[in-house]
Amino acid sequence: MTTVLDVSDLKKTYQMGSVPVHALRGVSFQVEAGEFVSVLGPSGSGKSTLLNMIGALDRPTSGTISIKGTEVSTLNDNRLADLRQRVGFVFQFFNLISRLDAIGNVELPLAIAGVPSQERRNKAEEMLVKVGLGDRMHHKPSELSGGERQRVAVARALVTDPSFLLMDEPTGNLDSTTAAEIMNLVEVVNRELGMTVIVVTHDHDVGQRAKRSIHLLDGQIASDEVIK
Amino acid sequence: MKVRDTLSYSFSAIRLRKLRSGLTTLGIVIGIAAIVALLSFTQGFQVSITNQLEEGFATNTLIVVPGNLFQIPGQTTNNDFTLYVNDTNAIRTVDGVVIATPVMSNYGTVQSGDRSLDLTIRGINYTEYSAIYSSTFVAELGDISSNPTNTSVVIGHSIYDPWNNGTLFAEVGDTLTISHTIRDNGATHQNTINVTVVGVLGEIGGTSIGGGPSDTGVYLTIDTATSLFESSEISSVVVQLVSDDSTVIDNASSDIEALFDGDVTAISSTSVLAIVDTLLGTVGLLLGGIAAISLLVAGIGIMNIMIVSLMERTREIGILKALGAKNRSVLGIFLSEALLIGILGGAIGIAAGMLIANIISGAMGGGFGLMGSGGFGGSSSGFLGTITPVLTPSLLFWAMFYGVFVSVLFGLYPAWRASKLDPVEALRKE
Repeated sequence: MTTVLDVSDLKKTYQMGSVPVHALRGVSFQVEAGEFVSVLGPSGSGKSTLLNMIGALDRPTSGTISIKGTEVSTLNDNRLADLRQRVGFVFQFFNLISRLDAIGNVELPLAIAGVPSQERRNKAEEMLVKVGLGDRMHHKPSELSGGERQRVAVARALVTDPSFLLMDEPTGNLDSTTAAEIMNLVEVVNRELGMTVIVVTHDHDVGQRAKRSIHLLDGQIASDEVIK
Repeated sequence: MKVRDTLSYSFSAIRLRKLRSGLTTLGIVIGIAAIVALLSFTQGFQVSITNQLEEGFATNTLIVVPGNLFQIPGQTTNNDFTLYVNDTNAIRTVDGVVIATPVMSNYGTVQSGDRSLDLTIRGINYTEYSAIYSSTFVAELGDISSNPTNTSVVIGHSIYDPWNNGTLFAEVGDTLTISHTIRDNGATHQNTINVTVVGVLGEIGGTSIGGGPSDTGVYLTIDTATSLFESSEISSVVVQLVSDDSTVIDNASSDIEALFDGDVTAISSTSVLAIVDTLLGTVGLLLGGIAAISLLVAGIGIMNIMIVSLMERTREIGILKALGAKNRSVLGIFLSEALLIGILGGAIGIAAGMLIANIISGAMGGGFGLMGSGGFGGSSSGFLGTITPVLTPSLLFWAMFYGVFVSVLFGLYPAWRASKLDPVEALRKE
């Protein structure tokens, strides 16, 4: 098995005025290719901080984090940006670009990566068909339902063929039926495409979908267990 | 991110906020239009003046006038200095001078039948004058005698046919009564002479810049003019030199000026052109500067709008960064928005500027033409009536360049700020 994510003794301290806030106090775990991991925990447990670090959006105060063998903490801004192209982000608020249609949004990470336009169009179409939006490609986000928007976001995350899919409260803005549909999609993606999935959530229903569950509490791992 | 993709992404952002982008672009449009209109018009003015000068003022000719035209402040000169017919003899002795001929001019009333015109009457030596102005001082009708009688008069084409409709004021052979009022210590008396039209000049057009023949000229012989004006005071001496070599011009000019202790000025067409060039260059600079200020204001507008837009789009920038956009990609996106506004504004501004320049030119041409016909002759070539805005490729290039330059310059700071946004902070923003 290939290790796609290796987190070791990760610490992050913020300065809130003069008071240091220890958001992460030494977190270590590894994620192998093809895993479906949920990171659960109440607010303030350090979930978001960990997510930012795994997504190469932020650097740790100490400790190491490596994405498919690339150490994040020592990279400069440009290299960090490159690394983000290998992470498939899905956000709670979809974070689509409202003026671009569905296919434009899915193409965006490929455009950023400098993929030629015909190639990225083909890939984006293919991915939208996979998430079940083959007939909604030219709709703007405002013309799509919440579930459809999140499908576009999933397609956008997958189109670059990332090392893993990193989801931040992916169902937090959806009703339970739609949330279930999205999680079904994620399961399919994990099972059929073999895509590694890391879901950060405080929703236990979502957590139950994963095969492995990491519980965070006060910036430390309270439990790390395989469910299925 | 590829340049083409960056541009198309930026364009989609510009297109989204049409009113805002339009107003921002309008600032650049106004600035560029002002620059193009003012400078093309100034250049057209310069060309027009230069053409008129070159028409009426041969390059190997000097005009000697009393007084120091280019007086340095603080320098004392004799303001009462006058040139007389006899002074011409002294000028003839200067090296390089081929012909020196006096030109007398004063106001007078010309009467033909029951019509009369108030004009400037000139006294000249027909032979010398026509030798110098061999292309313009030529009779279309009648004849300019080399040995004229004292009752001869040569008239310009506009005196012959002042209304340009065939209603003639005077023909060859007609008698004109010319009167001049002398003011002497409060008392006035009027001198009147009768002269016969011997020649009518062909149409010259333009003006008599440089003392050359004009369409509204009335030319007596020197002797006749001397007795009419009761004075041998002259307004200028026209000098023809052996060549238009600048050394010859400079030497003759300084020799002539030295001859009268600096109380006269020898004007050459080159010196006048140089002055006109300097003058209009300054005017152009001034107008261009004013236009440049409006462009500066437009630039600040761009900066302002882009900073507002940056704040609205913080989250978008966060998304772009989360999707792997580098700082320089974000910088590129914002800069190309400024660039596109600059290009668009520049292009529209140039078109608008050309239009405005032509409208001004048309309005001014019409205005001067009207003045000409009301005043005299209605000649189609009023003094400023022929200004055509000159749009040189270099003016267009620089207008475009400044439009783009200002946009990008003022876009730099907002773009830089956008590129430096922390992705975590940016994504958190609602």
